[in-house]
Amino acid sequence: MRILAVAQNTFRESVRDKVLYVLLLFAGVVIIGSKAIGWISIGQDIKIIKDLSLAGMSIFGALIAIFVGTSLVYKEIDKKTIYTIIAQPLHRYEFVIGKYLGLLALIFGVILLMSMMSAIYIVILGGEINHWYFIASFLVFMKLLLVTALSVLFSTLSSPILGAIIVFCFYVFGHATGVLIDLPRQFEGSWSKPVLEGLYYVLPNFANFDIRSEVVNGVPVSYSYVTYIIIYGVLYSTFFIYLAILMFQRKDV
Amino acid sequence: MNTIAILKTVSLTKKYSSISARGYAVQDLSFEVNKGEVFGFLGRNGAGKTTTIKMICGLLLPTSGNAYINGCETVDPNSRRNLGYLPEQPYFYEYLTPRETIHFYCKLKGLNVKEREQEWLRLSGLLGLESIADIRLKNFSKGMRQKIGFAIALVGNPDLLILDEPMSGLDPVGRKHIRELIQQQKELGKTIFFSSHVLSDVEQLCDRVGVLSRGKLVATGHIKDVLQQDIRQVEVVFKDVAVSLMPFLKQRGTLLRTWENYVQFQFDTILTANQAIAECIHNGAVVIELTPQKETLEDYFMRMQIIEEQQKKKGEIYYSRVEE
Repeated sequence: MRILAVAQNTFRESVRDKVLYVLLLFAGVVIIGSKAIGWISIGQDIKIIKDLSLAGMSIFGALIAIFVGTSLVYKEIDKKTIYTIIAQPLHRYEFVIGKYLGLLALIFGVILLMSMMSAIYIVILGGEINHWYFIASFLVFMKLLLVTALSVLFSTLSSPILGAIIVFCFYVFGHATGVLIDLPRQFEGSWSKPVLEGLYYVLPNFANFDIRSEVVNGVPVSYSYVTYIIIYGVLYSTFFIYLAILMFQRKDV
Repeated sequence: MNTIAILKTVSLTKKYSSISARGYAVQDLSFEVNKGEVFGFLGRNGAGKTTTIKMICGLLLPTSGNAYINGCETVDPNSRRNLGYLPEQPYFYEYLTPRETIHFYCKLKGLNVKEREQEWLRLSGLLGLESIADIRLKNFSKGMRQKIGFAIALVGNPDLLILDEPMSGLDPVGRKHIRELIQQQKELGKTIFFSSHVLSDVEQLCDRVGVLSRGKLVATGHIKDVLQQDIRQVEVVFKDVAVSLMPFLKQRGTLLRTWENYVQFQFDTILTANQAIAECIHNGAVVIELTPQKETLEDYFMRMQIIEEQQKKKGEIYYSRVEE
């Protein structure tokens, strides 16, 4: 109940902070982008709009997760709104989980609206939408689940600006972790090879959540892969939130 | 009065060792607040009052020692089930309205939907929030915010209220209102622990006080027991004093001011004041006002500061002050 109260409040705060304006931006990018691409592509525009929409969801969702997430706990301490909250019979883990779930609810709503808006737009343009489009959108949400958890962790550790820079680096690098395992031959036998390969297994691989090209091009994706990625995202997120709770547990506010 | 301790600290200590703040903010603090009493927690700025309150409310973790509410350690959130807290300058979610704010804190206190609505009706009636129920808090003045802060502290009707400088920054009307609210809660049998450095508030409201100086408790008891009760000086206002008497009066006391046909003198002892009064009356003057000066809380703090500085010079105080 208390977790829910904190989550509801976080959701309400973000909505009233006009975070949902990002939806308008998304709509604008997809519509203008599709018009522009329509002029240069022949017969591929529906595929490109689908691709653009899924990429847009990922980017705009990540912007919310990073910029709102990294200030989530820090802002409460900085603005001292946390004083009267911690003085309630509320465990600190309930506060962190509540803040996390509140932001997740918002991101879920945003992704849902974006996928609905883009699906309707594609249908209007004469394209076809199947359930894989929505599964791809859901995997974007699963990726943002992880990005949000990482952002919340950094909001208990550092200032929002520093946190946003670090998480953004994680986000960009997390889409290219493949380079750590596909090392050139010069790395053979050097100490850096096992270190970089170790990093590949430790760092979250955001590219795993990306089934955009498969969905756009009609390449089949197995349900077992989708299930594996969902579990992967939940486990990583749980680990980061656990770390955030540990950091916040003994923090003086 | 029931003498069960509702709030207790045992060797409570907070030490900082960061670059910006180093040393003891609170050191070895032990005191008890009994059920139903109003306890004033006094001290100059930076004495450690807010740090102590934050440790009691679970915002800061003690370096050593413990604080207990109803026997439950304050590091345990369950100790705060029966606690209401008003920070020095209450901060809220600006995007919420008073109604939403009270409902939110009711949820954190674990109240169900029906209880939340009842609580809103009780508190909005008590603090006069009905007319501003649906206005966002970002538009509120300091006095209104303090009211909302007080309402939050009263959510769930707690037995223990901890108020950090509740009258700070308020105008006379706001101060009076908060004082009345504290008085009202006192009459309802609530235990109130409040920090202040304003003597008049403390004298009017408190059953007992504790005085904190540089993180250490230097005195506890009734305010009259803490302050020196000896008459330090006497101020007298005379009317129609003959000019020829002025040198006599100036020899015995200090001329504070003159206006129209009045003069105000300060005398160091009652004896010299009496001699001056007798001489003046004998020469046709009239005594308008006589005010014995006792030690005030401000004087007390000045006295403490002198003692501290002497101790510091001798090396008896070995910690540096931490800004709160």
